Amino acid sequence: MPNLKDIRRRIGSIKKTQQITRAMRMVAGAKLRRAQAASENARPYADRMRATVSQVSQGVSEEAHPLFEQRASVKKLEVVVATSDRGLCGGFNSNAIKFAAKLIAEREAEGCEVSITTAGRRGQEFFRRRRSEQLEGNYPQLDWVTYVQATEIAKAVSGRFISGEVDEVFLVYNEFVSAMTQTPKSVRLLPFAADDEVSGDILPYEIEPDPESLLAVLVPKAVEVEIYRALLENQTGEHAARMAAMESATRNTEELVEKLTLQFNRARQAAITRELIEIVSGAEAL
Amino acid sequence: MPFELTIVTPEGQSYQGSVERVVLPGREGEFGVLTNHERFLAPLRVGAVEIITEGEALYAAVADGFAEVDGESVTVLVDSCELEHEIDAARADAAVAAAQQYLDKAAGDEDPERYRHYEGELERARTRVAVSRRKRQ
Repeated sequence: MPNLKDIRRRIGSIKKTQQITRAMRMVAGAKLRRAQAASENARPYADRMRATVSQVSQGVSEEAHPLFEQRASVKKLEVVVATSDRGLCGGFNSNAIKFAAKLIAEREAEGCEVSITTAGRRGQEFFRRRRSEQLEGNYPQLDWVTYVQATEIAKAVSGRFISGEVDEVFLVYNEFVSAMTQTPKSVRLLPFAADDEVSGDILPYEIEPDPESLLAVLVPKAVEVEIYRALLENQTGEHAARMAAMESATRNTEELVEKLTLQFNRARQAAITRELIEIVSGAEAL
Repeated sequence: MPFELTIVTPEGQSYQGSVERVVLPGREGEFGVLTNHERFLAPLRVGAVEIITEGEALYAAVADGFAEVDGESVTVLVDSCELEHEIDAARADAAVAAAQQYLDKAAGDEDPERYRHYEGELERARTRVAVSRRKRQ
């Protein structure tokens, strides 16, 4: 039977942990709202961009832009893995990493050469330990996802695609389904495929100077936007996952404190009873 | 007759309103748009946008993007957009100086990627300065 002092000390330390998890939950909640707002703000731009690219790419050939090019055989593949920089968010990062590792293993089994780019420190650490020679680039998020980060990743992978170093680029990130669920997902980033269905009116635009040179501006931007959107979604998921993880951690500490308090009271009562017996039997002996 | 102007960036919508005329910095030169302009799409470069509403002009500094024009509305999609009152003139001046300094020192022989980056930076900073000046005149 643990003595009273030990139990009291444990209750104290668990309550301190609880304060931390509770504070982290609050912070994650605030960041989740901020991340959701950022995603919300990016949506009009992303939607508009996608619509315009698919409108402009109607009726142009596949060679209209080098990023459209479908390679007959895919020998080299690049996977961009988005994770968070920090841990303590449940299975969020390990899910994405496992998903990416599976995708990589599958493609390697097919005989592809795979290179990896990571966006987020968690993924970087994982792949640095296991596949360091395949790592092409690392882009930690540094507190908050910015459009500039997405631009850098887009420039790097597009450059490798155009130069022929890679034939396809995939993006792995956590899809934000709801505040409770995030599921890892992969999308093909390059070769870039414009939506076939054109939403809204298809009235032909007068394009200045011509569709090809407009696409030269649009397509790299559409790739940037695609990455930016995925990073934002990943970020939203990260904070949601952390909030859920900290919520359940807080609940666990509450349960533990309750159990220990009960144990403490029992031990205290046992000590009192023991003392009473000692006194009574002492008196009897006289 | 006014028409609807919307300026969107990846960070959000930075301008929306009914305007009389807008002058945009196209890659092929500046162009003005009035109501009932022919539908067209044009890429934009780094530069100043002039928005005219009820005889008053508002300036904004925009970076790379494109404009979509149809008869009743103009949508501008750009990497960044700062309206004249959002620009910190002192910071913009400092940015011009910093970029200029780098370019003077590097003089083309260094990492061409970085050089281009600073060239772009200088252009954006100059636009911001110009836009913030026009306000003070």
